[in-house]
Amino acid sequence: MSRSDVLVDADWVEANRDDPGVVLVEVDEDTSAYDKGHIRGAIKIDWKSDLQDPVRRDFVDRAGFEALLSERGISNDDTVILYGGNNNWFAAYAYWYFKLYGHQNVKLLDGGRKKWELDSRELVTEVPQRAATTYKAQEQDSSIRAFRDEVVAAIGNKNLIDVRSPDEFAGRLLAPAHLPQEQAQRGGHVPTARNVPWSKAAEDDGTFKSDDALRELYSGAGVDFGTDTIAYCRIGERSAHTWFVMHELLGQANVKNYDGSWTEYGSLVGVPIELGDGS
Amino acid sequence: MSGDTQATTAVGQAVAAGCGAPAGGAPVSSAGNQAIVQGKVTKDGAAVPVGYARLLNADGEFVAEVPLGDDGGFRFFAAPGDWTLRVLAPGGISADLGVSAATGEISEFEVAV
Repeated sequence: MSRSDVLVDADWVEANRDDPGVVLVEVDEDTSAYDKGHIRGAIKIDWKSDLQDPVRRDFVDRAGFEALLSERGISNDDTVILYGGNNNWFAAYAYWYFKLYGHQNVKLLDGGRKKWELDSRELVTEVPQRAATTYKAQEQDSSIRAFRDEVVAAIGNKNLIDVRSPDEFAGRLLAPAHLPQEQAQRGGHVPTARNVPWSKAAEDDGTFKSDDALRELYSGAGVDFGTDTIAYCRIGERSAHTWFVMHELLGQANVKNYDGSWTEYGSLVGVPIELGDGS
Repeated sequence: MSGDTQATTAVGQAVAAGCGAPAGGAPVSSAGNQAIVQGKVTKDGAAVPVGYARLLNADGEFVAEVPLGDDGGFRFFAAPGDWTLRVLAPGGISADLGVSAATGEISEFEVAV
């Protein structure tokens, strides 16, 4: 797999967005950014209201995903180009989610909304209308999603990559510093996890670093490329960014995203927790 | 802005469902037990509404980022200590400012680019 199979740049988007087989999708947690202005032709997906079950802490089920994509006018054969704010966290999460339900042709816009804005490219408010489709999803691909018991079993056995900031890893902060610090769970990290913040995989403008720089980043942090890997963060979107880097850009097999992440692990009774900056 | 990440009337009661960074930073009414770093980005005296504020720790490591609000505003919930604010704006603008934060205080900064 090469970069061009999973990433596009802004010039590609401008040249191909009118292709009827290409669907641009902005994915955010706060979709007011889309409402104020988005790339011409892009539709939106709301990370929370569209992708999360409204009652249980879990994803919408297969039928729910089929209904969502059908309603948004996305076909099984479409090339889906995802982008969003927060350095593409939620777009990377959606990418992983589309792969989880078996959508083959999905790519990220490198740099996401941030680079597009910093480059002063056009944003519009017109919302495109797409005819409904009959989308068929696959069963969830369990090879890319980790659950809590696998994480506990991976302690000391697999690569555990904690992609949060060093201060969250150490237990000094409980949430990213752009949010109020919650007190609802314990701070710290899963024992034996390596702290490789997602941000180290990206340049300031949100684009991904080169493959060589990325390999050096993870191997330098003690990640064994010959071993299976589980990535986690707080709720699973920053670790989807790292899953994308490890699995899609670097072509590592057996990389899973633990979407329960620290909000689940740090609230479990009886599991081991390590504090401090790690080794 | 939509709801859950910034459903905040007083700091400390906030329950963030997600991790998204609201433009301008999550709103607060008082510092409570938080160490808040906030301010505005201006250019020639006018607010810069399109751009990003990043918070780096004392080692220069990235900690957080928010898109600037319509008034050029940003807000971070830091830990006590010294930090670096980095502002990115269209036109290749990048500016750094050293700041410090203290628990229970709102530390206010204006970044002119």
